[in-house]
Amino acid sequence: MGPAPAGEQLCGAIVEPEVMEPALEGTGKERKKASSRKRTLAEPPAKGLLQPVKLSRAELYKEPTNEELNHLRETEILFHSSLLRLQVEELLKEVRLSEKKKDRIDAFLREVNQRVVRVPSVPETELTDQAWLPAGVRVPLHQVPYAVKGCFRFLPPAQVTVVGSYLLGTCIRPDINVDVALTMPREILQDKDGLNQRYFRKRALYLAHLAHHLAQDPLFGSVCFSYTNGCHLKPSLLLRPRGKDERLVTVRLHPCPPPDFFRPCRLLPTKNNVRSAWYRGQSPAGDGSPEPPTPHYNTWVLQDTALESHLQLLSTMLGSAQGLKDGVALLKVWLRQRELDKGQGGFTGFLVSMLVVFLVSTRKIHTTMSGYQVLRSVLQFLATTDLTVNGISLCLSSDPSLPALADFHQAFSVVFLDSSGHLNLCADVTASTYHQVQYEARLSMTLLDSRADDGFHLLLMTPKPMIRAFDHVLHLHPLSRLQAACHRLKLWPELQDNGGDYVSAALGPLTTLLEQGLGTRLNLLAHSRPPVPEVSWAGSRVPRDTKDIQDPPKHKDSGTLTLGLLLRPEGLTSVLELGPEADQPEAAKFRQFWGFRSELRRFQDGAIREAVVWEAASMSQKRLIPHQVVTHLLALHTDIPETCVHYVGGPLDALIQGLKETSSTGEEALAVAVCCYDDLSRLLWGLEGLPLTVSAVQGAHPVLRYTEVFPPTPVRPASSFYEPLQERSSLLPRLDKPCPAYVEPMTVVCHLEGSGQWPQDAEAVQRVRAAFQLRLAELLTQQHGLQCRATATHTDVLKDGFVFRIRMAYQREPQILKEVQSPEGMISLRDTPASLHLERDTRQLPLLTSALHGLQQQHPAFSGVARLAKRWVRAQLLGEGFTDESLDLVAAALFLHPEPFTPPSSPQVGFLRFLYLVSTFDWKNNPLIVNLNNELTVEEQVEMRSGFLAARAQLPVMVIVTPQDRKHSVWTQDGPSAQILQQLVVLAAEALPMLEKQLMDPRGPGDIRTVFRPPLDIYDVLIRLSPRHIPRHRQAVDSPAASFCRGLLSQPGPSSLMPVLGYDPPQLYLRQLREAFGNLALFFYDQHGGEVIGVLWKPTSFQPQPFKASSTKGHMVMSRGEELVMVPNVEAILEDFAVLGEGLVQTVEARSERWTV
Amino acid sequence: MVARRRKRPARERDDRIPSPPGYAAIPIKFSEKQQACHYLYVRAHGVRQGTKSIWPQKRTLFVLNVPPYCTEQESLSRLLSFCGLVQSVELQEEPDLAEGPEESRSKFFHPKPVPGFQVAYVVFQKPSGVSAALALKGPLLVSTESHPVKTGIHKWISDYADSMPDPEALRVEVDTFMEAYDQKIAEEEAKAKEEEGVPDEEGWVKVTRRGRRPVLPRTEAASLRVLERERRKRARKELLNFYAWQHRESKMEHLAQLRKKFEEDKQRIELLRAQRKFRPY
Repeated sequence: MGPAPAGEQLCGAIVEPEVMEPALEGTGKERKKASSRKRTLAEPPAKGLLQPVKLSRAELYKEPTNEELNHLRETEILFHSSLLRLQVEELLKEVRLSEKKKDRIDAFLREVNQRVVRVPSVPETELTDQAWLPAGVRVPLHQVPYAVKGCFRFLPPAQVTVVGSYLLGTCIRPDINVDVALTMPREILQDKDGLNQRYFRKRALYLAHLAHHLAQDPLFGSVCFSYTNGCHLKPSLLLRPRGKDERLVTVRLHPCPPPDFFRPCRLLPTKNNVRSAWYRGQSPAGDGSPEPPTPHYNTWVLQDTALESHLQLLSTMLGSAQGLKDGVALLKVWLRQRELDKGQGGFTGFLVSMLVVFLVSTRKIHTTMSGYQVLRSVLQFLATTDLTVNGISLCLSSDPSLPALADFHQAFSVVFLDSSGHLNLCADVTASTYHQVQYEARLSMTLLDSRADDGFHLLLMTPKPMIRAFDHVLHLHPLSRLQAACHRLKLWPELQDNGGDYVSAALGPLTTLLEQGLGTRLNLLAHSRPPVPEVSWAGSRVPRDTKDIQDPPKHKDSGTLTLGLLLRPEGLTSVLELGPEADQPEAAKFRQFWGFRSELRRFQDGAIREAVVWEAASMSQKRLIPHQVVTHLLALHTDIPETCVHYVGGPLDALIQGLKETSSTGEEALAVAVCCYDDLSRLLWGLEGLPLTVSAVQGAHPVLRYTEVFPPTPVRPASSFYEPLQERSSLLPRLDKPCPAYVEPMTVVCHLEGSGQWPQDAEAVQRVRAAFQLRLAELLTQQHGLQCRATATHTDVLKDGFVFRIRMAYQREPQILKEVQSPEGMISLRDTPASLHLERDTRQLPLLTSALHGLQQQHPAFSGVARLAKRWVRAQLLGEGFTDESLDLVAAALFLHPEPFTPPSSPQVGFLRFLYLVSTFDWKNNPLIVNLNNELTVEEQVEMRSGFLAARAQLPVMVIVTPQDRKHSVWTQDGPSAQILQQLVVLAAEALPMLEKQLMDPRGPGDIRTVFRPPLDIYDVLIRLSPRHIPRHRQAVDSPAASFCRGLLSQPGPSSLMPVLGYDPPQLYLRQLREAFGNLALFFYDQHGGEVIGVLWKPTSFQPQPFKASSTKGHMVMSRGEELVMVPNVEAILEDFAVLGEGLVQTVEARSERWTV
Repeated sequence: MVARRRKRPARERDDRIPSPPGYAAIPIKFSEKQQACHYLYVRAHGVRQGTKSIWPQKRTLFVLNVPPYCTEQESLSRLLSFCGLVQSVELQEEPDLAEGPEESRSKFFHPKPVPGFQVAYVVFQKPSGVSAALALKGPLLVSTESHPVKTGIHKWISDYADSMPDPEALRVEVDTFMEAYDQKIAEEEAKAKEEEGVPDEEGWVKVTRRGRRPVLPRTEAASLRVLERERRKRARKELLNFYAWQHRESKMEHLAQLRKKFEEDKQRIELLRAQRKFRPY
């Protein structure tokens, strides 16, 4: 018998820890057994693990060179720390274009240039007469209305210029784009081309002809159309090289008018250039009111005229300063990680470059600054300046003929003028996009100022996709509904301005409406930017089939509009929208805004006000009030029906809902239990007759810190279901009935006041404690009539249907257990397993419980997140490897250290971040610091991190540090093993993208439980259990349609006997299995109603071994050749599985033959 | 099940179950229904000369690999009673040499552990029992019609019922223990009082904490505290950066710190680069 071929992840990991993923490699062996620690310490340093640095004395204290001193000084002045400097340099190396590639791109550009100027010309025709275009060539533009005056002819471009970031050296990988401006010869254009889209029609025709010719050239791998910044009137032509360089570069051709062709004064934001008579076929209202201005249309024309001047400006400002270029590159990475730069109306790299230029011109940035400093200054500027109120301008001249900033504010939501003073660079940026940028900048600034250890990583390396950044998201689908919304909102001038793009036209009013409606519930509303479509010119160079050529995309094709809501937890508690008093003039406005939901109400202070009341009873329903608000407002004001609004806020709630509850996620039930505990602790405080009074009562159970996955319900046992044991006033389970409901007593630690009377001997202290337990039970029964049962270590108390397990504690007991007397009589304290265990249970656990209880008061979503996380880990059958507390602490870390996000306000987003944290955290080289109550100072944290490296070999695989537990990581001492943790990492990495995809699917998330179902094919043996004896069967991920009666009454019954406590046959069975076969196999089970126990053989124990009296357990002796060897007696063991679990086990399925040779 | 196929012919060939030298193998099954057997490996208990053992030589059978369902001592003694009258059976987790069965531990304070595979010391009344046991052919059946052994649900329910302690018995046990303890402490104290201030044969007087003047407790923590206080007192008198060489040295120290930090950072970066952690997306 031997190890299996390492196929599956987990099995492979167990065979040889060496072949594990590098993320955990090395520590696996050290962790597995304490005894092997010394051996591994002596081994050569494992790969991928940080070693404490050892420098010789001579190296440390040698004379510094000038260069070194300069470098050190520069680091100190220009960067935060040397680590940051190195990180920034590495990142820039990664995103910057290499010289070799630049050469190849340059060569390609030269080729493009040659080919473009050689495209043949076409004689002049009317614009509406497009018969000259070869068959199958479509104009990449919606020509609506079609009729337009003017003539077109094709002539090769007068000038071909490379513009944009490529020349500046600030373009970043991947997706290298090179923008090329093609100046159209003056002969093509006529006077008044700025009117009624004529210029854009010509531009599109120009490109269509160009594309037709270039597509036949073998040089290009793909030729397709795209749209500049998503503006659908402005197509551009994308060229990619053929062959292996296909992904190297995309050349974008932008036709532009000859310089000085358009008069800027015609294109001011107040002017109209799209006549209503032409666009709508009717004059505006007929009464001679002025034509509506078309600011966006004007801007799009102006943008084409300014391409070169912008390039010149940028190259003079940034050209020689490497620091500024680095800064721009970093800013681009920053934007991209936040998905801010992509799509229509994104905050593009070009905008940040111009912003850097602006800051240089206002002397906020100096050319000698480092990239990091530029990043900081720009973020600082963005964080503190609101361009939606106070626009900025690069224009220095004070020419009175220039338009005023106020004019621009009237027309655009964000204002940033270029050096000509006519063009608003941020014309397409919506107010919410800018607010999102501003919000991100503010967050990043606090992060940089907080001196967090890895600000770099959080700032520049952590992606913030919408679904993980926002508490709730909602999809509007299909988008064609927005057209009706535009009509409802009377947005005709905007449609005229946008050339019929109803998505852009409706976006602004829509977000304003929702922002106003959500009011105090909302922190930030962001919208996804419609992606820029790419219309393929078909893969083949000569389009043979007309089907290969696509029509220009319709507006409704731009997918879905996704809105992200960042909620404000304080605002979520109220179900009331308070309006003005009924007789105030604002009341009408309020009524108009809320429609039929607004009602008159009299309040306790006598005021009669307009108000809106939402239906929400529980915490989880209150969290979903924004859903009600959004659907109501959209239906009322924009005619978007509920069926088109797909609100993703609570699909995961179902997994932590109680058995029969559908309206609550259990926060209320937990609060009831905590309330009962508070009552009990008051009783304990006031108890009379104990020899020592109670000095402290502390909870030590997950229920008391709101993190129990399924909150307890009051027990009302039906007496017929049990065997009563009258002399102990307890109930016993009966053989002929299904297993009774599972009741877990909640542990409470009770400290007594100090006294010199305690014995100073461990055994005697135990006896005295037992006497206290007995006395406590007696007193509680006598004074308060509570049902109690005392044992040597605890007293169980039944109160209002909840069962508490009170443990008396004596403060000095751990110390007594620690005392060791040396031969000289010196008493010293040494940690022993017993003392550590006691300290953990009576000191650290209550502290943790109260700290997390406090956290729940601060962040109401904590409970949901922690419970979902635990639920998921257990559903993956890995629950046994992780203590309750360790998972709770990981969940707490999401709230206490949310950077680069903000603390989650919904369980959904918290759970996604939990998966992200688990799948990406480098446990091998970092401790997870959970700064409960903010007790750790920055210096202490730094010290912990450096101390961690030195002590790495002695620490568990997963290290979680809290202020109360700075060195030992008590909650992860006994597990998980490296293999189990690795398995969790792998599972989380698989689950995260799957779940995110489900949630981002506008047609609804589908089966949300998919990621909660464990893979079963990796196990060697499956033990199937009979649901009759699984007390928590109904809690299963896929809740069974029917299960057994568990002997509970819905009304309080007459029986006041102590219910059956902690009786869970699967757990008892697992304990036996682990004790008997723990050396041979691992057992996996989901305690929440799992029907299957997965068994994995340990391949190492299947190596034949020589006979040893101490390790015969479950083995048998076989003769192999001449020698006698021991191998596990697998067949007998498989039968033992059935014998030990008689009644519980249905079948034992041996699924693989891996244990045989 | 390849393993079974291979094992069968081997057994048939020489009709002897392979067993390690010095041991005899006895097949054991839970009941008739089971197909495969576990094997008890037994031998006469013996220790090297000179070492003491609490188990009587010659009359004791040492049993390895007792399966987890043989939890009760009775079941093993019943199985082996064919070989001779059994005097006692002791089940343990690990084979141990020196110690014997511990003094009966309180069932309230030391709950029975969950059993796994165990070893057993079976003491027969006569030495003949051991030799008979070594020749046993088996297979032994743990659970039979006449003596069923509880497992699974039956066992857990009865275990649950057993776990209900009798508070009166617990009280009695605590009281007797504490009485004995108090007596012991009183005796010790009386003895200490007697010795108080009385010099021993070399003339030394033992100072105890019950003396008239309080003394420093003899603990590690207390002595560390004293040392720390001394150190701080000395540090207060020292002058920092007073002499030129001190100044130079502290500067050098600062530089060394920076260098060390730099090296650490470089290592970190190297590691991250190796893991391709600088790919932003």
